[in-house]
Amino acid sequence: MTSSSTAAPMPYRKPLPAIADDNKPFLDGLRRHRFLVPKCGACGDYSWIPHPACRSCLSEDLTWTPVSGDATVYSFTIAHRGPGAFALDVPYAIVLGELVEQPRPCLVVGNLVGALPGVLEIGMPIRIGYHDVPEHDATLWHWTTRA
Amino acid sequence: MFPQRQAAVVGVYTSEQARVLDRTSDSLQLEAVKGALQDAGLTAADVDGVAGASMRGRYPWFEQYWATQLGGRPLTYVQEMTGANPGLHKSALAVSAGLADVVVHVFGKANARTGIGGHPVLDEAPRMDPWDLHFTGGSYPMWYAMWARRYMHEFGATSEDLAQVAVAHRHHATLNPRSLMGGRGELTVDDVLGSRLIAEPLHLYDCALDNDGAWAFVVAAAEVARGCRKEPVWIIGGAEAVETDLYMTVDKPWIRESGSAVRRVGEMSFAQAGIRHDDLDVANLYDCFTITMIRNLEELGFCKLGEGAEYFREGHTRLGGSIPCNTDGGLLSHSHNGMTHGFPMIEVTRQLRGECGPRQVPGARLGLAFSQGASVHGAATAVVLATG
Repeated sequence: MTSSSTAAPMPYRKPLPAIADDNKPFLDGLRRHRFLVPKCGACGDYSWIPHPACRSCLSEDLTWTPVSGDATVYSFTIAHRGPGAFALDVPYAIVLGELVEQPRPCLVVGNLVGALPGVLEIGMPIRIGYHDVPEHDATLWHWTTRA
Repeated sequence: MFPQRQAAVVGVYTSEQARVLDRTSDSLQLEAVKGALQDAGLTAADVDGVAGASMRGRYPWFEQYWATQLGGRPLTYVQEMTGANPGLHKSALAVSAGLADVVVHVFGKANARTGIGGHPVLDEAPRMDPWDLHFTGGSYPMWYAMWARRYMHEFGATSEDLAQVAVAHRHHATLNPRSLMGGRGELTVDDVLGSRLIAEPLHLYDCALDNDGAWAFVVAAAEVARGCRKEPVWIIGGAEAVETDLYMTVDKPWIRESGSAVRRVGEMSFAQAGIRHDDLDVANLYDCFTITMIRNLEELGFCKLGEGAEYFREGHTRLGGSIPCNTDGGLLSHSHNGMTHGFPMIEVTRQLRGECGPRQVPGARLGLAFSQGASVHGAATAVVLATG
């Protein structure tokens, strides 16, 4: 039996989103390369992470609202030991980015893609990027540098 | 209205703590429970309450196992502890209210790692919310690392400042023969900074241990306590607070003047006990990472926000200082067995009983035991203990 000329791709073993009624709109947004954050119809605040009610006023009048994706680095770390499937990626960065949208600043966690971890500094501009996991029909987000 | 009675710690026990123990979690927990009861001069038949966490997959509720294990009789107080729910004072509340006379707190673990190495590569991609801690390759050290970096950015602390904590707690461990790391000798700041990076800026020695072992302690009502083997260690104040989920939601500012759950429990328990900081003889504060110790000193009011590193450098928390802390070596050098809430209670109890030998704080009569969990300072319990 002759060997195949291309090896089978490594199966994707990093986490994938668990699809639920209350996060499906968000995941659909990612697919369309939109980052949707719940915005309160009563007080106008954004809430992150998504909660069933507004984190400022408890209203359930929430609308998934696209944000610009622009942010600044609030903090970050460079992992030199990674859990599970991330062990192969070290060193990799986890960034806590502060979205530019107000009111109620949203601090969003994501990995850094498209730049070396060494460039990271608190306060530097970043923006949300998207990448697909085609074999699982999923689109995920990451942070990337912004001029 | 509930009657009110005093409650005291009457028995404590720690098993061997080691990186890997050739034991089962069940066996370690049983050893610890029996050991703490023996220390108290009580028996299993005296127990009418339990607090702990289940390591047994087949019993989703911790108390189910203990109810039948103890012989099929009603337990009137139960508290399921998870990492985020220390609840150290709650059994004292129950005892004080007359709901139980003798409560055992216990946790023991073998053959399971808490840290990064304990996450296997699964056969297929695990499914979770996309904002889950683990989704972006996160684990506890990464979040404490981000918290440390933010703290260093805002207040000018350095990696050397953090390393001081590891050095001091290792020094205490060298005086504690039960500690995992005491036998390895002292650490220097260079040792800490030269240890491998885990998640920048945290090095290996900035991080808690990850090992097997068990602990247990027994809380009893005053009329029982006075008949136990040793001098009761009275619980004269305690509080618990929670403010975060498990490493997902972060509000700005992450480090704030008004403080977190930690500040709240410190203020409440001090007020209940009617004490001030300089009344304390000894303390044991949650040191899962070096940064945590510095922040705890600020939040609990030993020093001001931003001054924790300087306060630590001044040596107040070393044996011989004004408020020796983590005299057992802490989570950094004594033990981190997965759920460590009992260790501060047990070490402070041993100090107040005068059982600490070379690491004894002379004349210790008043102590603070503090533990926490959840997303950096997200859940906290403080207990004030007193003898005499």
